[in-house]
Amino acid sequence: MNLLSNVMNFLNNYVYYIGAFGLIFIGLCIILIKRNLIKVIIGLSILSTGVNLFLISVGYISKGTAPIFSKSGLDSTRMVDPVPHALVLTAIVIGVAVLALALSLAIRLYHHYGTLNLRKIKEQRW
Amino acid sequence: MVNPVLLIVVPLGLAFALPLLGLISKKIIKFIPVIAFIFNLVISSLLIPRVLDHPIIISIGGFPPPFCISLVAGPVGIIFSTLIALIGLLVSIYALSYIKEGPEEKYHILYLLLLTGATGVVLTGDIFNLFVFFEIVCISSYSLVAYRGDKAGIESAVKYLIQGTVGSSFLLIGIGLLYGLFGTLNMADIAQNITSISPLSIFVPLVLIITGLGVEAAIFPLNSWLPDAHSSAPSSVSAILSGIAIEVGLYAVIRVIFTIFGGSSNIFMFLLFLGILTLLIGEMSAFSQNNIKRMLAYSSIGQIGLILFAFGIATSNAVTGGLFQLVSHTLAKALLFLTVGYMIRRTGSMDISAFEGMGRKMPFTSLAFTIGAFSIVGLPPFVGFFSKFLIIRAALAKQDVLFIVLVGLVLLGTVIEGAYFFRVVHVLYFKGEKVNQERKEAPITALIPIFVLVILIVGIVIYHRYIIIILNSAASELLNKVEYIRSVLG
Repeated sequence: MNLLSNVMNFLNNYVYYIGAFGLIFIGLCIILIKRNLIKVIIGLSILSTGVNLFLISVGYISKGTAPIFSKSGLDSTRMVDPVPHALVLTAIVIGVAVLALALSLAIRLYHHYGTLNLRKIKEQRW
Repeated sequence: MVNPVLLIVVPLGLAFALPLLGLISKKIIKFIPVIAFIFNLVISSLLIPRVLDHPIIISIGGFPPPFCISLVAGPVGIIFSTLIALIGLLVSIYALSYIKEGPEEKYHILYLLLLTGATGVVLTGDIFNLFVFFEIVCISSYSLVAYRGDKAGIESAVKYLIQGTVGSSFLLIGIGLLYGLFGTLNMADIAQNITSISPLSIFVPLVLIITGLGVEAAIFPLNSWLPDAHSSAPSSVSAILSGIAIEVGLYAVIRVIFTIFGGSSNIFMFLLFLGILTLLIGEMSAFSQNNIKRMLAYSSIGQIGLILFAFGIATSNAVTGGLFQLVSHTLAKALLFLTVGYMIRRTGSMDISAFEGMGRKMPFTSLAFTIGAFSIVGLPPFVGFFSKFLIIRAALAKQDVLFIVLVGLVLLGTVIEGAYFFRVVHVLYFKGEKVNQERKEAPITALIPIFVLVILIVGIVIYHRYIIIILNSAASELLNKVEYIRSVLG
């Protein structure tokens, strides 16, 4: 019983980090293992989602409030750190740009090779 | 009072105003990068004497330093921004006639953005801001590699994009961890508090950040994208990627190691071996190439290794030598790619054997290529000799058997480098039939930048005293972390 409560406690504190690094790990695995370029791009997207979740959880406080000092009745110790939110907004925008570029490159690659299988596309090599 | 912010704002503004200006006249768009970089070059050179006196700190948003995004225009930043503006100007003059087909407007926008991002990386004092500018550099170079839209270009752009994005994600995780540990993103503020945290918990962000930046800086295990990307991009883009983009990546690595983490001897030892490994792998791969642009790309990897080696020695002389090597590599490699661009266009092939008799067909371009090659190898009258000499002298001054062995390996790398560059020079001048072939030089817009680069490669040697003074103060900015923190945080 004690063990269970310890585990629950641990999960309660770190569940966001576990989720974030889980997503990062899944994304990396997809990028490394999958052969289809579209799947690799999906992997990139999952990876960047994981990174964003991680950044948010750095500043997160359970049952926290928005950091508005002008509004009375908000406890300043329970305010969520706003800086990671700003970072994540920027990171999401960058992620969208990279994703759009990757998908458009995938279209061009398909035009040239007639396949998206990365194992078959290897004209450039060391 | 000249504000360093202008170095970023003006090219960025012009990049986004470019499509609008294109509505007025399609002919003026290609001159806009030229104007932007003339402006940047003037501002950066005006700032040099002031920055040598004391670094200029700009707080954006008007908050005091730890809370705002700050720009730190120290000697290192201004040297880099001058270099970026100079190479940017020369290559944009070259591109006036070189870029003929394809969506020209987009080329010029991306080109401006790439160099704006690079300027931002070297001037920023905020680690997240560094990430953002870094992404600007990366995204514009992915698309510039694919500019021609041919098979090789698209394939290498995809490779580059996947590896680069994974690298950036690692960088961002590292930055997130640092923010979690210190609650600040200001590099000086993190550097100030770095000793208050146990070395073990700093190790993870350090590794993540170096891995992330190492992809762009082409440090050995992370550089498989580089030869493809640099060889399949248009030559003017290759010159920028080889001359600016990887140098900026390397700048970020050394800024993070020297300033933020303050570098222990273990990290420097790691850099030394990484540098030697990168050097030898790059030079040996370059030796076996028949494609001239791939050869130059591998040679860039080798040079990056040498620069990393110099920073790994981490004495004041060695850091000066490393920065000098960085400058000389940028000048020489830009020159090589620019000359090769028109040789490839004239012969229609990237094969080294296709360049037979080029010494008679394009005498000036071939001579410029030879000078660039000799400078990279490190032959005495050119700038490459002085920078290599400084590094090797600094390594020997350590008086350690290990360093003597490593210097031996560096010299081995130089011998290999000499072998493959002389092979090309041999093909240019001494192969092929000696019939009087028609001379057909590159156009004048290409010859001007080539000529300026040749003058710089020869001229810096004569005025090396002044360069060394500037580089010395840059080296002391990198090595003296306390001074950096004090100047930023006041």
